[in-house]
Amino acid sequence: MASSTVTSEPVAAKRRRAGRRQELIWAAIFLSPAIAALVVLRVVPTVGAVVQSLYKAFPGGIIPATFHGLGNYESLFSDPNFVDTIVRTLIFNVIINPVQIVLALLLAVLFVQKIPAVGVWRTLVFIPITVPIVGSCIAWGAALNPDGPVNALLSALGGNPQPFLTSPNQALASIILLASWIGIGYWMLFLISGLQAIPEELYDAAKIDRAGAIRTFFSITVPMLRRPLLFVLVADTVANFVLFVPVQLLTQGGPQNSTTLLMFDAYRTTYGYGSRNLGAAEVVILTAIMIFFVLLQFRLLRDERTPR
Amino acid sequence: MTTTELARPGRTEPVAPLGRAPRPVKTSTVVLTAVAVLVGVGFVLPAIWILIGSFRPNAEILTTMSPLSRHLVIPSEVTLENYVHLLVDSGFARALLNSFIVCIASVAIGLAMSAMAAYALAVYQFPGRNLIFAVIVISFMVPFEAIAIPLAQQFTDWGLGNTMIGLILPGVANGLAIFNLRQYFLGIPQSYREAAMLDGASEPRILFSLYARLSGPALTNSALLIFLGQWTAFLWPLLIVSDSDLQLAPVALAGTFGEHAADYGQNFAGTIVLTLVPAISMFVLQRFFGRLSIGSGEK
Repeated sequence: MASSTVTSEPVAAKRRRAGRRQELIWAAIFLSPAIAALVVLRVVPTVGAVVQSLYKAFPGGIIPATFHGLGNYESLFSDPNFVDTIVRTLIFNVIINPVQIVLALLLAVLFVQKIPAVGVWRTLVFIPITVPIVGSCIAWGAALNPDGPVNALLSALGGNPQPFLTSPNQALASIILLASWIGIGYWMLFLISGLQAIPEELYDAAKIDRAGAIRTFFSITVPMLRRPLLFVLVADTVANFVLFVPVQLLTQGGPQNSTTLLMFDAYRTTYGYGSRNLGAAEVVILTAIMIFFVLLQFRLLRDERTPR
Repeated sequence: MTTTELARPGRTEPVAPLGRAPRPVKTSTVVLTAVAVLVGVGFVLPAIWILIGSFRPNAEILTTMSPLSRHLVIPSEVTLENYVHLLVDSGFARALLNSFIVCIASVAIGLAMSAMAAYALAVYQFPGRNLIFAVIVISFMVPFEAIAIPLAQQFTDWGLGNTMIGLILPGVANGLAIFNLRQYFLGIPQSYREAAMLDGASEPRILFSLYARLSGPALTNSALLIFLGQWTAFLWPLLIVSDSDLQLAPVALAGTFGEHAADYGQNFAGTIVLTLVPAISMFVLQRFFGRLSIGSGEK
């Protein structure tokens, strides 16, 4: 200890150990804000929602909430309106996600072709991404007005004007239309970069084998795009399960509940009807369904890889 | 030139002339081009309609909607009255200012927090490092909307309803920002850090003076992610703020859409303002980004 030249080795080791402890302290200091945010912003509300969903309270909060077990879930699932909302949310997602992914894929393939000024046409498709969703909803709310330009276009093409957002049969389809206008260009971007990463030799080989365009698409393009496609599908599904702004802004769940999706229903139950505990149960159900679909998609697209 | 074109998948021309006439290739190119133009124009038309509408007399938007004519996109006069009404007469200017404050504070706090976490996860070796990294990134990538309602209830219980802090906090944590910064930090040679330590630099100094200075592009990218997330946020400010003085721009815009159904001029102008801010910031930051990557010629 006294003469560092003689005992240099232990001192160095000690210093290294002290340095490592120092590092650990710094790691803890640097990580603490992020971990605190994680706990406050994710863990607490998630646990809070589960706990809330198990209690029953009367609006006003004078009487303390009492433990209710699965009672909130029972009353939700015995309510035909809520069951309809679940079914509607599922149908909505089963339609909108494949439609958006297929269209985004077709557009991505189109926009990597050798055509004049392809960058310009591609840019036009992703301009809607830059419009914040509130703006997009206002644009389409105005455009789908009974006397709006979309109906003017329909009339000019010889069709009949449609009620769109004011008809229980068309409101959800109208929301699919506007959500797709927003989303397709975004998902297309990921697929274009995926397409550009496919090695050219594969296409040359297909050409030598005289594979047609459709055969090449399904035997080379789609399998090679599996990873970006899985990512886009999962991200799109998650985004569509929590789609909220168009419903809140344009239809308020109507007409005749035809656009009441689970996310909006949870909001309306919590704030519109003041049922915090039922709303929490709806949030838990929404999250569970979302996780189920994400896992299912991972499962399906993983399994497909093994045989080929 | 030709090599880059050859590198594109799905090209329609053969590599070498195979004795086939180029005619059929041309027809398919013409068809594809026509489809591409139609799709592109179809996508951009609603945006152009909004842009033009924001500069035309408000009354004209309604009268030119139907039947279809060239007046749909050709205004009789170009006017700024919609913007003046929006920014001077309504509370929108206040909401815009609030949005800017929230965005800037979120970016500042969020960048500091993400950089610290990313530095700890990139530089130090400690047990459970990868697990902590995965948990942080994945949990902040789960869509915020899914927990927004219970979180808003918690925030209200904690007295954070109708406060700036309540608006700012949820936007600061961004999984992609932490992920990006960590990947970038991993690429910075450890020898730089060791050299700085020999010079007596403390850990925070190494992070904020060395790593942050070398990470312009990654920081810019992360700043943009946090900024755009907060700028376009709708559900959270709707849940957490009822006080109109604290309202953010998207909620204020949505409010005017419901109230005066016929005032499309102001609505369109508000949409354009909300769109321009991210577009301009992206443009400016891209240039900044480009300059940095050229200027930092250390590789």
